[in-house]
Amino acid sequence: MNETTHDLDETIGHLFRQHSGKMVAALCRSFGFERIGIVEDAVQDALIAAMKVWPYSGVPDNQLAWLLRTARNRCIDILRRDNRSTPLDAEPEFAADRSEVDAVYFPSEIAEDQLRMIFACCHPEISPDSRVALTLKAVGGFSVGEIATAFLSNPDAVSKLLSRARSRLRELNVRMEMPPPRELPLRLDSVLKAIYLMFNEGYSASTGGSFIRKDLVFEAIRLASLLAKHPVTASPMGDAVTALFCFQAARMTARSDHNGELLILAEQDRCSWDQQLIAHGLHHFRRSAAGESVSDYHLEAEIAAIYTLAPDYSSTDWARILSAYEKLQSRKFSPVIELNLAIVICQLRGPQAAYDRLVSIEHESAIRSYNLFYITKAHFESLLDLVSEARTSLERAASLTHNPPVEAFIQKRISELG
Amino acid sequence: MPHYMLILHEEPMDYSQMSPDEIEAVIREYIEWSQLIEAKGKYVGGQKLVDEGGRLLHGFGSDFRVTDGPYAEAKEVIGGFFTISAADYNEAVELSSDCPHLKYGGRVELREIQPTE
Repeated sequence: MNETTHDLDETIGHLFRQHSGKMVAALCRSFGFERIGIVEDAVQDALIAAMKVWPYSGVPDNQLAWLLRTARNRCIDILRRDNRSTPLDAEPEFAADRSEVDAVYFPSEIAEDQLRMIFACCHPEISPDSRVALTLKAVGGFSVGEIATAFLSNPDAVSKLLSRARSRLRELNVRMEMPPPRELPLRLDSVLKAIYLMFNEGYSASTGGSFIRKDLVFEAIRLASLLAKHPVTASPMGDAVTALFCFQAARMTARSDHNGELLILAEQDRCSWDQQLIAHGLHHFRRSAAGESVSDYHLEAEIAAIYTLAPDYSSTDWARILSAYEKLQSRKFSPVIELNLAIVICQLRGPQAAYDRLVSIEHESAIRSYNLFYITKAHFESLLDLVSEARTSLERAASLTHNPPVEAFIQKRISELG
Repeated sequence: MPHYMLILHEEPMDYSQMSPDEIEAVIREYIEWSQLIEAKGKYVGGQKLVDEGGRLLHGFGSDFRVTDGPYAEAKEVIGGFFTISAADYNEAVELSSDCPHLKYGGRVELREIQPTE
């Protein structure tokens, strides 16, 4: 484990979540991925045992070893109880397994187990939502309740999603292993999609402001870094994803002021951007240039890099951002990219050109329920002195959000119209 | 200085839905509490009683019988105990008053230990 990873772990905190993910991976390797339900129960029991005992005994020197030993014994107990007819000790896999214990002492073993687990949880045969939920639970150590909060869902629905996904993986006989080279590109793509979704779920401010969302962002960064570092799974695309996440996350807390009010990019205090994350992002951004092909992730990382590396708002290289957005737009048309393009065009060619571009996508259904579209439209309208139109757009935007900071932001803009 | 025992009573609960994050936070609170007492030089020790498998002994001689612990039907069990030193009950109460056990709905029975000499 190099220094950056270590620092990142420190930043992330949540030691028990990380322990939980490490234990689930190590025990699934011994007991079989098909027993993941039992393994997760045993890990939960071990954590509860620690909660009951450690307050009295103190925290053991090697927490993970203590927890893993407890969870492993618990696994065997559950399996014995459930399956009395099969003498478990006869199965070689249940003989005292040094490799789990070794995993506690060798970070590279932990990383390897976790990667195998990520590939199993992000199998292309299950839906991206299920991949994210399974990965958060098994690898990230998030509880069903926390996953439900992050996805604005309820715990029962998340439990159902998880159990459906697990039985699908059992049907497919998915094992915890690194994909063979022939399958690697497809499997890696499936993993990156899931991690990208995990990040966006955490990063998007439009759907709620729970602390759990920040944890999702850092979990996505941790997983992306894990993939980008391992010799088998490292890829320019993985580096691009990691860079993109780091550049975005570096600006995350600067998006609101100390009263919780939202700040637009021009208003943000650049000194509060996380320099460690930016450095981490730059490292992966440089490495992402190693490949021959350019992915969507590369273009998004490039845009994020230009925004993040500009010394101040006015010296942002808008022409380069425009060109990256246009390349992205030519690969997969998206109204959201078009909205971003309009914002950049406003910088380069003025509000009328930007406004015309924006109006041309107003009929898109994906845009009609997107409050940022109307906030942006109002911005152009006010620059063009179309005050009453701007007011109408802001009112429309207000009707499309239930997020108090966003509502406050819109009300402030309305009052500024005079 | 006299020693006092904090006997921690609690109701058995289902913790299966607690997240690792919440579990970690609970442990941290207890550890911080006992470390604070330790820093004052007042912490003597603590021991956890095993939740399952208690026995209750009754009778004597031919009347002697053993039953399983009262835990299955009991509303409350003793989870464990801490021992602290304090000048008097006032100080012992003060040291115990922010024990996280109280925050989580448990009861703390505070008893002075009889000196042996």
